[in-house]
Amino acid sequence: MTYQDTYAAGRRTGTSSPYGGRSAVSVPPAPALPRRGPGGRRALSALFWLGLVASVLPWSLDTPAGSLTDTADVLTAAGRITGLVAGYLLLVQVLMMSRLGALERWLGGERISRLHRDVGATLLVAVLTHMSLLVVAYAEVDEQSVAGEVGVLLRDYEDMVSAFAAAGVMVLVGVTGVRAIRTALPYELWYHLHLTSYAALLLGFGHQFSNGAQLFPPGPVRTGWIGAYLLVLVALGWGRLVAPLRFNLRYRLRVADVVAETPDTISIYLTGVRLNQIDMLGGQYFRWRFLARGCWWQSHPFSLSAAANGRWLRLTVKVVGAHTADLCDLDPGTRVWAEGPSGTFTAAHRTRERALLIAGGSGIAPLRAMLEELPPDAALIYRARTPADVLLHHELDWLAQARRTSVWYVIGSRDDAGPRQVMSPEGLRRLVPDVARRDVYLCGPSGLVEESVRVLRAAGVPRRQIHLATFEL
Amino acid sequence: MRRAILAITGLAASTSALVVLKGSPGAGQLAQGLPADQASVAPAPGGVTPTPPSASASGRTPAARPTAGASRTPGARTSTSARPTAAAKTTTSAPKPTLRTVSGPDVTYEYGTLHVQITLSGTRIVNATGIGLPQSGQSGQRSDDVQSTYSGTSGEVVQKQSANLNTVSGATATSDVYQRSLQAAIDRAG
Repeated sequence: MTYQDTYAAGRRTGTSSPYGGRSAVSVPPAPALPRRGPGGRRALSALFWLGLVASVLPWSLDTPAGSLTDTADVLTAAGRITGLVAGYLLLVQVLMMSRLGALERWLGGERISRLHRDVGATLLVAVLTHMSLLVVAYAEVDEQSVAGEVGVLLRDYEDMVSAFAAAGVMVLVGVTGVRAIRTALPYELWYHLHLTSYAALLLGFGHQFSNGAQLFPPGPVRTGWIGAYLLVLVALGWGRLVAPLRFNLRYRLRVADVVAETPDTISIYLTGVRLNQIDMLGGQYFRWRFLARGCWWQSHPFSLSAAANGRWLRLTVKVVGAHTADLCDLDPGTRVWAEGPSGTFTAAHRTRERALLIAGGSGIAPLRAMLEELPPDAALIYRARTPADVLLHHELDWLAQARRTSVWYVIGSRDDAGPRQVMSPEGLRRLVPDVARRDVYLCGPSGLVEESVRVLRAAGVPRRQIHLATFEL
Repeated sequence: MRRAILAITGLAASTSALVVLKGSPGAGQLAQGLPADQASVAPAPGGVTPTPPSASASGRTPAARPTAGASRTPGARTSTSARPTAAAKTTTSAPKPTLRTVSGPDVTYEYGTLHVQITLSGTRIVNATGIGLPQSGQSGQRSDDVQSTYSGTSGEVVQKQSANLNTVSGATATSDVYQRSLQAAIDRAG
């Protein structure tokens, strides 16, 4: 049977799998996951805005109305506000990268990295504004030239040398974060430059307290600000060190087997102890570090391609680079260091009872895991370039029956008639008439994901019902 | 990226809004607030500012620069980009508040005669001191209490911006007289 036949046959609801796999008859469908609302995300968002207000409030309280009488006063005030905002945003930036479990579960890696980029751009502008405003304002007061005032600041003020160094680091990190420049750099260089932003955190610390008008006098403001720093450091230590250590000591994951799914895709099966106690959902991912020669220093995020079953974990990986090629040669028994689980791309984050899943190529992996936890009557559209690219097809057929899922395989390149017809608002509505009342989960190459979002929006699917997991490029 | 641009615009807008809000002279001019030296940049503990604390009532703010004209050099003036704006501003907008000192009348009472001297920046009291308080013995100690509670750049007078102060316990008479002279001084300062 070719997959063209499969596509021509259309709906596959209820077809039994002739290819073995697990028997569909004796497995009662597991109950669907209860929903997790957007409460956690909203709480974090409220917390962020509260923190922002709280960091500018001391300035507002210390400054009586009408006290800004000339240019220098106004510039100084604006410089202080931007400085407080920048200090706060820097803490938020570091906190977002702390891999804290709550953040990873409530916001999800995809959203965090988008926020990190946007807050980063704002932070850079805030720091530069803070610097230039205060230098000009102080130059005005001291009857100095701007360059001369920079000299005065560096010479006479405590901690200002390190503060200027911190600003330099932030500019460097910010500039190399611009997408065009980032893609031109080797990944390792970019990564190590980005690591120096921790230095910015430390270098910028001193001048806030020795020269900051709001933070210099001892009192609740100063204490609170130091407390915020400590909190971020604790979160960093917890998320990056303690939590992964606990996870790996508890579950002791090892490679059990490496299986070829197609000529360029492999599944890695992992075993460990107490696997039935891992609190994870289908569609989530871990950052994996395989402790084998040549692999141990790299950590990469891969989704699980099967829901938790208490016996093994599986990740399905397309071989695209040197690292993934090395993974093909992993020996059974290799220890694995995992950080996670992360991500909000799960059945629990749905807003409606039914779902439409659209997979592109190896993007099927998280969707395959999620299918086991979605309520019945889900629909899956699987885009693949050639029949040989279709992964896990036996399992999908089994799931189609066990969980009453409609599965369509749409084979061909983007411009072929079949895919073009399906990936249009009319085509989607014909396959899934109630598409606008479903949650849509998209996973695949960024081209497919962007195209699908456009089509789905045209078909009337609200944005909050669209869940994305783009491949990292 | 669109969100980053929004965020940056929001930052600029809200910073300007805050500054405008605080900068507009309004009802709150005499409102309770911290003394000017705390509201402005606190000098580094290493003694960066050469002026003694009492003279730096307004720290870095230009208002507290009585000798500014003398140290101003034309070369420095032209090299600063912000300078012309400031110069233009002083001629067009309200005059800069300068420091002035107002004394209250002498008040004689059972322990002696005293008067209160206040320093104002604009209409804001930035310093106060009692002059002629009894120096010796029991009453000297009490008057020290009064002086340390009321006077100074961060005393009760500067904090409350009025003559309606809490009476210092054990020094009721001195407190009373201090407040009477202070009230008169504030009235004179208008």
